[in-house]
Amino acid sequence: MDLQYFTRSHPLRRWRLYLSLAIPVIAVVWFLSQRATGQKVYSSGPLSASHAVFGKRCEVCHVTQAGVFRREVSDHACERCHDAPAHHPHKAAFTPACASCHQEHQGSLRLARTSDNSCAQCHTNLRVRAGEPKYVATIQGFDRHHPEFAVLRPGGSDPGMIKLNHYAHLQPKLASPNGPVQMTCHDCHRPAGVEGTWPYALGQVKTVSAMTDTDRRTANPRAYMARIRYTEQCAGCHIKDLQFDKRFDEAAPHDKPEVVQAFLIKKYTEYIAAHPGAVSEPLPAGRIVTSTMAPMPPAPRTREEWIEWQVAHADRLLFSKGCKLCHTMIRENGPLPAVAKSAIPMRWLQHADFDHDSHRMLTCTTCHSAAPQSRQTADILLPGIASCRGCHQEGGPEHDAADGRCSECHQYHEWRAEQFPKSNFTIRQLRGAAGGL
Amino acid sequence: MRIDRTHRSWFIGSLAGVVLAAAVYVPYSLRSPQGVSGGSAIGLTYGSIGSAFMLFAGLLGARKKFPIWRIGRAQTWMRGHLWLGTVSFPLILFHAGFHFGVGLTRALMWIFAVVFVSGIFGAVLQHYMPRFTTERIPMETIYEQIGRVRAQLVDEARNLVEEACATLTGGLSRATMEQRAAAAGAGTMGGLTVASGLELDEEASVKLRDFFQQQVQPFLQHGGSRGLPLADRSHSQGIFRQLKALLPPSLHPIVDDLDNVCEEKRELDQQARYHRVLHGWLLVHIPLSYALLLLGAVHAVMALRY
Repeated sequence: MDLQYFTRSHPLRRWRLYLSLAIPVIAVVWFLSQRATGQKVYSSGPLSASHAVFGKRCEVCHVTQAGVFRREVSDHACERCHDAPAHHPHKAAFTPACASCHQEHQGSLRLARTSDNSCAQCHTNLRVRAGEPKYVATIQGFDRHHPEFAVLRPGGSDPGMIKLNHYAHLQPKLASPNGPVQMTCHDCHRPAGVEGTWPYALGQVKTVSAMTDTDRRTANPRAYMARIRYTEQCAGCHIKDLQFDKRFDEAAPHDKPEVVQAFLIKKYTEYIAAHPGAVSEPLPAGRIVTSTMAPMPPAPRTREEWIEWQVAHADRLLFSKGCKLCHTMIRENGPLPAVAKSAIPMRWLQHADFDHDSHRMLTCTTCHSAAPQSRQTADILLPGIASCRGCHQEGGPEHDAADGRCSECHQYHEWRAEQFPKSNFTIRQLRGAAGGL
Repeated sequence: MRIDRTHRSWFIGSLAGVVLAAAVYVPYSLRSPQGVSGGSAIGLTYGSIGSAFMLFAGLLGARKKFPIWRIGRAQTWMRGHLWLGTVSFPLILFHAGFHFGVGLTRALMWIFAVVFVSGIFGAVLQHYMPRFTTERIPMETIYEQIGRVRAQLVDEARNLVEEACATLTGGLSRATMEQRAAAAGAGTMGGLTVASGLELDEEASVKLRDFFQQQVQPFLQHGGSRGLPLADRSHSQGIFRQLKALLPPSLHPIVDDLDNVCEEKRELDQQARYHRVLHGWLLVHIPLSYALLLLGAVHAVMALRY
């Protein structure tokens, strides 16, 4: 019996040894050969949709130095494609690196959808380079210490100058030229860019994109409501308020007082030319509208005096009654009053974005709950943050809720200062052989 | 290693670990609309624990190299290898979100899958094969000694044949002297002429020697011996029956002994085959495990660095 048998080799042991050496070596050789041709051997995690085109060309962002691509992505690498103006550059205590907020390789998410921690690193204890912070300094998140919207805080008011009574407009059997109607929010308020006609427009008026100051980063043109225009939302019923004389079917134009005045003079001049006997006709009976305007001229004896008297009469009817129904008329030194700008806010949240289109499944009054009872223009009908919190929470999807992260509403970059970046790449440089060129 | 009652605590612990990991994974997966990521906190936890288990399983080889180290009983290490290695696979699947990825991670997942399947296959073999082998091969020997035993069988068979032939040759020498006396008396011996009896003994000796040299010796000398007539039991029985018919009854015990030697050789061959089956999977399992640990380390370093 050979007592040293266990120390001796036999085919199984020999092959086990050979393979145990050979296969790891083959594996390493394979890895090195793959590595030599680029970074495709690494599983980097899924890129965001906007960077997916780079595929495995890691060096586009992880700029290679001395044959090794850097772990960190420098701001310079980002700025070769993007111009992202800094956040309050003269006030912010520091500017974080792009990659510290926009974390890649996390999936096909928007890179703009940054983590709350990125914002909270400053806004939890906000400091500015000089003076006191202009904003709340201890915001930790949407659910934690986020203040009520500025306009809803004490002292906030609606800057609009149009006298609108929502309550009256939403009453049943509201009188209209076509008989009693029940108006709905949608009759006057629709997102911009929605195709269709307005039910109370002057004729068949198609919807136009009324947003002129949409932030260019607001990709959805339907994000905000279309601007309210007299001809589109009001004229269908309120055309009668611009009627100034039964002798004319045509109403006064919805325009500046000077334009209205010129229109009236033209109309009456044409009328007296066609009806010379009108000078001797009795003046209209009934009460003259009281006004702060200049007193009525004496009874006319000539054509010119007749035109002057008729225009003055129509002015009072329009500027002191018809226009005043909705507009605030400002008495100035001149013969005509001025019309206060309507100043209906297009965006109530000046430091946040909102997208009506994303919320289209909701009834208007579920958020704007005060609207049906609002009688005053000064009533602010913007829903408060509590309404938003009904759906949006921090870590939303994890709590079966809509996302509540800062980037849902807030932009970090001052996009208005963005400049178009210089183009730097060819398709081959970005795509390599996958570019097919 | 048989998987018996002594594995109960390992089994329960491993099952509980997998159930716990799955219980964490399901809500984690459902609340990850973009899919789970190995780089997330939970994903990294799965990866780290799974890698630690893999590393422990891989250290079994080192533990075997140094059996005198007082770092736990070999059986405990074996059980740990078996169960922690098994648990590491679902943990790594959770880490990867059941995706094989691309490039290095794909290679790793495939290698791991093969290592896992070969390991399970090996564990099943280790559980059933030893008893099966013992039942089939009563005269089982140490695998490494099979070559030596085979050489002993050759010697034993050769001695049997040589002794038998020597006996026959010795009888022939004596007969030659008697033949001379009988020839002088013109007698017979046992109903046969003395001359013909002498011829028979010589023929038997030659036949036995030829049989040994042409059939038995080649069969005994080489392992496996597939294709040789004596490698097949039923065929071998026929050959030995035929040999007995050709040889005088006095040689039949020798023939039976040769038959037994051949039977023992066949069992050795069978044992060698069973041994190769029982340990052959290690040719896949061990080398790929080393490759897995090596590439896994690269993956971990690259993933944590970048």
